[in-house]
Amino acid sequence: MNLEEKVKEIMCEVFDVDEVAADVSQKNCEQWDSLRHLTLASELEEAFDLELEPEEIAEMTDFDRVIAMLKSKM
Amino acid sequence: MTTFVFRNQTVEPFLGYDAMTYSGYDDISQVPVDVDRYVWFYQVPVNADRVQLAEEIESYCDKLDLVLASADLHKPFIIFSLVDLFPLRLTGNETALAEAIARFNGYAAQLSRERGNVKWVDFSEFTSRYDSASLVNWKYYLMSQTLLNPKLAHDFQAWWTRIEDEMALKRKKCLVLDLDNTLWGGVLGEDGIDGIKLGGDYPGKAYSYWQRSLLQLARQGVILAICSKNNEADVLEAWEKNPAMVLKHEHFSAMRINWNDKATNMRELAAELNIGLDSMVFLDDNPTERELIKQLMPEVVVPEFPDKPYQLMPFFKELVESYFRIYAVTDEDRRKTEQYHANARRNAEQSRFADLETYLYSLDMALDVIPADVHNLPRIAQMTQKTNQFNLTTRRYSEADVQLRLDDGWRIYCMSVSDRFGDNGITGTIFLEPVDDVTVNIDTLLLSCRILGKGIEEAFFKTVLNLLRLDGYRKVIAVYLPTAKNSQTADFYERMGLTCTRVANDGVKYYEMALNGVFEIKNYYNIRVL
Repeated sequence: MNLEEKVKEIMCEVFDVDEVAADVSQKNCEQWDSLRHLTLASELEEAFDLELEPEEIAEMTDFDRVIAMLKSKM
Repeated sequence: MTTFVFRNQTVEPFLGYDAMTYSGYDDISQVPVDVDRYVWFYQVPVNADRVQLAEEIESYCDKLDLVLASADLHKPFIIFSLVDLFPLRLTGNETALAEAIARFNGYAAQLSRERGNVKWVDFSEFTSRYDSASLVNWKYYLMSQTLLNPKLAHDFQAWWTRIEDEMALKRKKCLVLDLDNTLWGGVLGEDGIDGIKLGGDYPGKAYSYWQRSLLQLARQGVILAICSKNNEADVLEAWEKNPAMVLKHEHFSAMRINWNDKATNMRELAAELNIGLDSMVFLDDNPTERELIKQLMPEVVVPEFPDKPYQLMPFFKELVESYFRIYAVTDEDRRKTEQYHANARRNAEQSRFADLETYLYSLDMALDVIPADVHNLPRIAQMTQKTNQFNLTTRRYSEADVQLRLDDGWRIYCMSVSDRFGDNGITGTIFLEPVDDVTVNIDTLLLSCRILGKGIEEAFFKTVLNLLRLDGYRKVIAVYLPTAKNSQTADFYERMGLTCTRVANDGVKYYEMALNGVFEIKNYYNIRVL
């Protein structure tokens, strides 16, 4: 499974939805609220064994930014 | 089921979002009544001023009182105990906070003893698995007010599901044990009665602790049974002659000690005990036997068995928490092992009588029909949760559900049966919903399987019908809802004289009957209506 697919899978679980679009963002996804944003960050840290700083977590507001941030940390 | 959560921090990552409503942080101004249950899940806040913090904790007792005063007392109210997740002491002998926490926890526990709907959950059972560095994640706390580390959310959910099952009484009924290298060390057939490892020093000591713990489990109502490849005579002799034996013949409600395959034996044990395979947990040190049961009987729980005798106690703890612990033990549970035994004696006696009628006379059976009240309500709810076989509709009710129906004017009776071999306690119930002035609907009718076979079901049912007729009811309607397990009741209502008016495609049967004359009941029951 590639990075994008894995992230989508985690998002589906955290947001409790069946699928997420490729352009999913805090703006267009109702379940992606501030609280679940942190759950998402915590799950991503666990899944990819990395540490995200609060400032970095705040920047990860849509799918592309999440992927870009994870790539920069790997 | 909807839940309302009182909290002072973010706990959504742990308790979830589905059907949950959360109060504001430390906000008790709103106490909704249109929910199914309440949860009180407070955390000890972060504050370096420990005295001030202790005062704040003290105030939680008052807040809890205020909430309980407005909450619907018929609905479950679950209180998590407080845990100091980040113990920060500026002086070594500072105890004010610990005392305040202990007081709150003691108060919550006391409430759970005084009020049937309040249940107390020991949150430290979860937190004690972790060191303080992994319990608190400061990054997430400062971003989201979640002191408990969100990375523990999955573990928490697994633990919490187990606690909810405990409260809903969804537990296993029977532990089936192997003997050699399971209940004692060594092989009885090879090492002999005094050669097996039991009592004395390690490893025998480990098996003594294990047996004593299992005995305690049996006293709480878990049925112990044996499924072992051995010579039965050797085992009986070992029980009699080995003084270190804690668990003996009388502690096992059923046994299969023979050389047949264990799947056949398990099937026979289930039939003898009148329980389903899905209520059984199978313990065996032999991986081949475990695999056999796993393959042939996927309903049976088959845990891995520890390799080393010193791992038995932690294994016991895991076993209890995963499958057997219930929130509160009822008197019925405590007596259950005894009752299963008395049944075995009754069965033995039955074979000596020429016919069933003579046998039933000789039992001196007493049947009490008792209206539901605060004392028997927990047991009634428990029976609706656990009874599968003699259960016409298999509707599951919580204590709160039963109370609600009583409040709505339903008639709910339970029955208690005793005979000269012992008291079976409360073992059946019937829920009657008034439809109009002269008609009742039988919503629920169930009897515990361990008392069947003596015509009790008929005597109970007819006694209740006679009561209804005396109270002016002239008609009963009823339904049979088929499940995978209750086929033995498919024709019960026909046998009782009800008319089946319709059979739906899914096998659901609808019945009705006019209440005209008095129903004759066989005179070998001494019936009392309380």
